[in-house]
Amino acid sequence: MSDFKALAEAVTKGDIKTAVAETQKALDSGSNVQDILDNGLIATMDEVGERFSKGLIFVPQMLRSARTMQECMKLLQPLFQESDVTSKGKVLIGTVKGDLHDIGKNLVSMMMEGAGFTITDLGVDVAPEKFVQKVQEVEPDIVGMSALLSTTMPSMPLTIEALQKAEIRDKVKIMIGGAPVTEKYAQEIKADSYASDAGSAVTKAKELLGIRG
Amino acid sequence: MKPLDIPTFQPRLKVLNREQALVIHAAALEILEKTGFKMEHSGALEMLSDAGCRVSDGDWVRLPAYLAEEALSSAPRQIALYDQQGNKTMPLRDGNSFYGTGSDATFTLDMETGQRRRTVLRDAANFARLVDGLENIAFAMSMANPEDVPVEDIYVRVFAEMIRNTNKPMVFIADSGKDIARIYEIACLVAGGEAEFQRKPFILNYSEPISPLRFPANVVEKLIFCAEKKIPICFPSGTNAGGGAPVTLAGAMALGIAENLVGLVVHQLAGKGSPFLFGPNVSVLDMKSTVVSYGCPEWSLTQAALADMRDEIYGLPTWAYAGASDAKVMDAQAGAEAMFSIVTAMLSRSNLIHDVAFLEFGSTSSLEMLTMANELIAMSRFFTTGIPVNEETLALEAIERVAGGGPGSMFLMDDHTFEHFEQAQFLPKLLDRSRYDSWEEAGAMDLYKRCNIEAKRILAEHQVAPKSEEVLHEIERILQG
Ligand code: B12
Repeated sequence: MSDFKALAEAVTKGDIKTAVAETQKALDSGSNVQDILDNGLIATMDEVGERFSKGLIFVPQMLRSARTMQECMKLLQPLFQESDVTSKGKVLIGTVKGDLHDIGKNLVSMMMEGAGFTITDLGVDVAPEKFVQKVQEVEPDIVGMSALLSTTMPSMPLTIEALQKAEIRDKVKIMIGGAPVTEKYAQEIKADSYASDAGSAVTKAKELLGIRG
Repeated sequence: MKPLDIPTFQPRLKVLNREQALVIHAAALEILEKTGFKMEHSGALEMLSDAGCRVSDGDWVRLPAYLAEEALSSAPRQIALYDQQGNKTMPLRDGNSFYGTGSDATFTLDMETGQRRRTVLRDAANFARLVDGLENIAFAMSMANPEDVPVEDIYVRVFAEMIRNTNKPMVFIADSGKDIARIYEIACLVAGGEAEFQRKPFILNYSEPISPLRFPANVVEKLIFCAEKKIPICFPSGTNAGGGAPVTLAGAMALGIAENLVGLVVHQLAGKGSPFLFGPNVSVLDMKSTVVSYGCPEWSLTQAALADMRDEIYGLPTWAYAGASDAKVMDAQAGAEAMFSIVTAMLSRSNLIHDVAFLEFGSTSSLEMLTMANELIAMSRFFTTGIPVNEETLALEAIERVAGGGPGSMFLMDDHTFEHFEQAQFLPKLLDRSRYDSWEEAGAMDLYKRCNIEAKRILAEHQVAPKSEEVLHEIERILQG
C-alpha cells in the first residue's frame, strides 16, 4: 500500500487542485487504482465523515471534501474495467409522491456518494409506479425514500406494496427518512432501515449491505 | 402655563439604510429579468406571457421589472383582518404587530405527561382554544398535523376544528385548489355569505413556492384562487440561507423577495387589488445539524430588514415569525430564543408574526410555550411603548410631597403611585419575582410548570362563544361531502 498522506490532506482540506495533482502523481508513480480509491480517497472521506459526526467540521467543509474526491475519481474512473468498478453499492433515491421537499434528500445523496455509493436520484414527487419502473431498470441495492410531510408518508408503504406486487421487494433494501419519519414508522411499514440524518444514513446503508468501516 | 405635550418616542429597530434596501430590491428585479424562474402552472404562464414576460423552454419565464413595480403599486397598502364576529382586530398596516401560532407541527408536548407525541385533531382544538383565551395572541394557526384524520382531509378537518374553538382570525394551509375551495366554503358560512366574507375577511392563506425560483402548479393554483376570491394570502418561499438560498443574507433576501414578487405579479394579474402579505422566510440551514433553524438570529435580522424595505420601498404589510425555538423542551434555550425573536420583531415593526410556540424547529408544538410567549409579548409591548414624558409622569408634585413629607414618607404610600402604577409598571403574571420562601411554599415551580398550570386553567375555564347550530351543522355537511 502506498503512502497517500498528501492526497488525504488535500481531500480533507477540500483543495481540489492539489488533490487532483496528487492523484495524478500516484497514478504516474504506478500505484494501484483500487489502492488509491480505497486507501487514498474513501478512507479519507470516512475520516472526514467521522470528524463531521463529532462536530469538528461543518457541512460545507464535508461537502467540499466529497466534491474533491469526485474530481479525483474522474481520473480513476477510466482506468477501471467496466466489471470491476468498485462501488459500495447502488442507491436509488427519491422524495415520495406529493412531496416537494428535497434539501434533505439531496444531502443524503451527496453524503452517500461521498462514501462511495453510486446514486440514482429520481427527484421529487416520485410515484410508486415510478419507483418500481426505476428499480427494474437500475437494479439498485438500496431504495431510499424521503418524506417531509405527514400527508405524504403513506406513499412509503404504498411504494413498498407496489414493489411487492412487482415481485422485486426482496431484491432491494429499503431505507426511509425525513423529519416526520420515525424508527417506529419504519418498522410498521416494514422498511429495512431508517436514519434521522445524512451522516447516519451512510452508516445505516453500510450496515444494510454488510459493509464494515 | 401650557401643559407639557410631547409625543412619546417609541423605540424602533432599524437594520438597513435606504441605500442597502434599494440595492437588494434592484438585485431581486435583476434575478427576475436575467435569471428568470420556472412557472409550472399553465394559466399563470399564459397570464405572465400576455403581460409582457419572455417565456422560453416551455415554462422558464423572465419578468421585466416594470411588471413587479406595477404589481407593487396595485396591491393594497393595508390589509384588515377581522375576527369571526366581524370586529377589525388585525389592521395590518404601519407599525402594527400581531402574533400568532404556527401550522402543521408533527409532534406536541403532551400537557399531562410532558412527553413528545404525535399530534391529533384534539391538539388543533386545544391550541385554537388557548389562542382564543390569550390576550396577546391575535390569530390562530393549527399547531398540529393530526395523525387521526384521513390524510386527504387533513387541512379541511383542522380548519373546521379551529373554527369550532376560536373566534380569532386564522391563518390556514391548504394542499391544493380542491381543499382550499372547501375551506373557503366554510369561511363564507361563518361570515354569513361570500359578500360578507369579502368585506370582513378573517382568514389568510399560507402558501409557499420553492426556492430557488420554482413555482409548482398546485401552489400557484391556491395563489390564483385567493386572488380571485380576495382571500388575503402570504407567499413566502423557504429561502433558508445555505440550503434553498445563498448562505449570505443579502443574497438570500434578494432571492426570497424575487420569488415573492413573482407571486405578487401573478396574484395582481389574477385579482387586481386583492390583498397580499409581503415577505419570504429567510432562516438558515444549520451547518452542523442541517436543520432549518427556527431560533436563529438571522431570521429575526432578515425580517427586520424586510420591515425597513417595507418602509423604504414596498409599503405592503409584512409576514414574519417569532416566539419559536430549536430546543426540544421548553427550557432556558426556548425562553431565550423566543424572547429574542419576539422583541426584535416588535421593535422592527413586523406586521403578521407567526410560529409562536414552536419547538424543535417547527416539528413540535407546546401549549406551555404559547402561554409563556403571551407574557413575553406583553413584556415587549411594554418596552416598545416607550416612556411617556408629561406633567403626570414627571411627577414633580409627588416628588415635592414625598420629599417634604417628613421621615417615613415614601412614594409607595403616595396617591400618585396608586393612580399610576398599573400603567407605569409591567406587572408580570407568570414570570416569577417572589421571595425564595414564598416561591418554595408555592411548590418551587419553574416557568414550564407554571405555564402548564395556566394553560390548563385557561382551557378549562375559557368560554369560546359558540357558532350557531345551523353553521355547525352545515360545516359537518361540508366535511362529509
Ligand atoms: C424548507 C421547507 C420547505 C420548503 C422546501 C424546499 C425544498 N426544496 O425542499 C418549501 C417552502 C417549498 C416547503 C413547502 C411546504 N412545507 Co415545508 N418545510 C421546510 C422546513 C422549514 C425545512 C425542511 C428542510 O429542508 N430541512 C433541512 C434538511 C436538510 O433536513 P431534512 O429534510 O429533515 O432531511 C434530513 C433528515 O430528515 C434525513 N432524511 C431526509 N430524507 C431522507 C431520506 C432517507 C432515505 C434517509 C435515510 C434520511 C433522510 O437526512 C436529511 C439530512 O440530514 C421544514 C421545517 C423544519 N425546520 O424542518 C418545513 C416542513 C417540513 N414543511 C411543512 C409543510 C406543512 C409544508 C407545506 C405543506 C406548507 C404550505 N404552506 O403549503 C408545503 C408543502 C409542499 C409540498 N407539497 O411538498 C411542515 C410539515 C409538517 C408535517 N408533519 O407534515 C414542516 C415541518 C414545517 C411546519 N412545522 O409546518 N417547505
